[in-house]
Amino acid sequence: MSKQKAKNVSFYRKRFFPWLLISPTILILFTIGIYPLIYILRLSVFNLFLSKPWVPLEFIGINNFKEILEDAQFFNSIRVTVMFTGLAVIIEFWLGLGLAMMARRVKGGTVFRTFLIIPMVTTPVIVGLAWRFMLFPRLGVVAWYIQRLGQMFGIEIPLLLANPDIALFTVIAVDIWEWTPFMFLILFAGLTSLHKEPFEAARVDGASGWRIFRTITLPLLKPVILICLLIRTVDAFNTFDQIYVLTGGGPGNATDTLSMYLYRTSFVFFSTSKGAALALLMLLVMLIFSNFFIKLLGKKVSV
Amino acid sequence: MKVKKEVTFSSHKKTVVTDSYLSFRKYEQKRKIGLFLIYLVLIVTCLIAFFPLFWMFGTSLKSRVEAFATPPIWFFSPKLDSYKTLFFKKNAGLFLWNSIIISMSSSFISVVIGTIGAYSLTRFEFKGSQSIAFWILSNRLMPPVARVLPIFFIGQTLGLLDTRISLIVLYSAMQLPFVIWMMRGFLQEIPRDIEEAAMVDGDSWFAAARKVTLPMAMPAIIATAIFVLILSWNEFTFAFILAAGRAKTLPPSVLTFMEEGTVLWHEVGAAASIISIPIILFALLVQKNLVRGLTFGMLKD
Repeated sequence: MSKQKAKNVSFYRKRFFPWLLISPTILILFTIGIYPLIYILRLSVFNLFLSKPWVPLEFIGINNFKEILEDAQFFNSIRVTVMFTGLAVIIEFWLGLGLAMMARRVKGGTVFRTFLIIPMVTTPVIVGLAWRFMLFPRLGVVAWYIQRLGQMFGIEIPLLLANPDIALFTVIAVDIWEWTPFMFLILFAGLTSLHKEPFEAARVDGASGWRIFRTITLPLLKPVILICLLIRTVDAFNTFDQIYVLTGGGPGNATDTLSMYLYRTSFVFFSTSKGAALALLMLLVMLIFSNFFIKLLGKKVSV
Repeated sequence: MKVKKEVTFSSHKKTVVTDSYLSFRKYEQKRKIGLFLIYLVLIVTCLIAFFPLFWMFGTSLKSRVEAFATPPIWFFSPKLDSYKTLFFKKNAGLFLWNSIIISMSSSFISVVIGTIGAYSLTRFEFKGSQSIAFWILSNRLMPPVARVLPIFFIGQTLGLLDTRISLIVLYSAMQLPFVIWMMRGFLQEIPRDIEEAAMVDGDSWFAAARKVTLPMAMPAIIATAIFVLILSWNEFTFAFILAAGRAKTLPPSVLTFMEEGTVLWHEVGAAASIISIPIILFALLVQKNLVRGLTFGMLKD
């Protein structure tokens, strides 16, 4: 019996077999992850224009990267992306945390949760479309009532999606509508799983609510907070569908995130090689960011 | 709570009783107002979360005139005209069918391959399993727009642009990291001992895995499959760029209802309802595992 058991344990120590089981995954991810990477690496050093097939294909080295780094549009896109990602994630986090702290204190949290699932799982394109419709000047229901409200208080309400100064904030607001529930759900689950003892002890010691929140709740929640910030930041950085539908990067280039800029470069102007170089830069940013974050996570949580 | 204690504790001292009783009443009142405010905030949040879907669905039941009316109309007699136009004149049936086929088969493929992979990562002690898990996860972090360019060229070379099969393969591959991480979390909770016991009883490894672990993991596999289904169903970027014609799925098809001079909002509303209502119902099925699904299995609900 014990001999057999030992044999079985040694089964789980097999060298080759686990690799056999995971090999389809590795193979697939290689073809879809690494091979395309090599492909764009190669593309990025040439001068391929799908829009100008008559231009002879030439090796131009790092010229594409140079061109991008000299492009003011690129830096505008970085600014827009950083603003979009930063503002959206921070506001979503605090709103989500606030709602979670509130929902924890009342009954019926599950009903609330059910409603909040809706924005998150609604198809992103539909989210963009629905808001575009509702914010449509005059026609849209939200635009109409905001306008009315503005008239009541004698304030001139600007066009929410067509005004270059406002559009980015409107897009951010839509993102907040869509993803605050994400923060809420995760933080709510995190809060309810915390042990009660430290809170009771602090209360007995007469600590104020704010102090308990700052010195107990936040530190205990830290791993959860890190995970939801990581996932949201990556997703916000990659956002394409909603912005494409809502503004298409406009008006002007007020909401032109890196994703939109890349899309236009490679699929509207068909500057393929420049697009490839840009894609590489974006991947690089994401890799650095996520590696940093995963390192941080690895220390905080054992996954 | 502390005040309440004081009331019972010092009930023999009359002055203290009235004093603390008063502050207790005050405390209760404050608490009630607080609770009321919390409920108010939560209910308003629910309404805000629900409203766009409600409005799009409502618009889909309006006639063209009603959909374009200002001020917005709240009460009207519902009609199904826009759905009829979508299905009979604008080919929505084909797009719906494409969406169903593509998301179902890609979920199936990715869940099968991913579960096996996750099994390998959780059951066996081999060098580098942790790094592989993170490498797999890092695949998920790439911006889709950055990845779609090389895939577009590869698809062009292979003559696979605008085919269902290319989207099925792509989605299966794209969702693999998610499946692996979800299933990894679930499988870690099923102890290896049970499987070992079956093997001690004389079963082969495969029989043990099939008879013991698989049934135990089945609810998890189904939940994962539903998540993948939602992700594939909602996918836009790849479908939009790689499948512009016959293999078009529902999300990019919405744009074709838009680009005809003026946007026909009642039809867009109908398309939006067809796309999002089934998927929301699916999402309600996996509510219990939602936190897991949202965090790649890193956190549990």
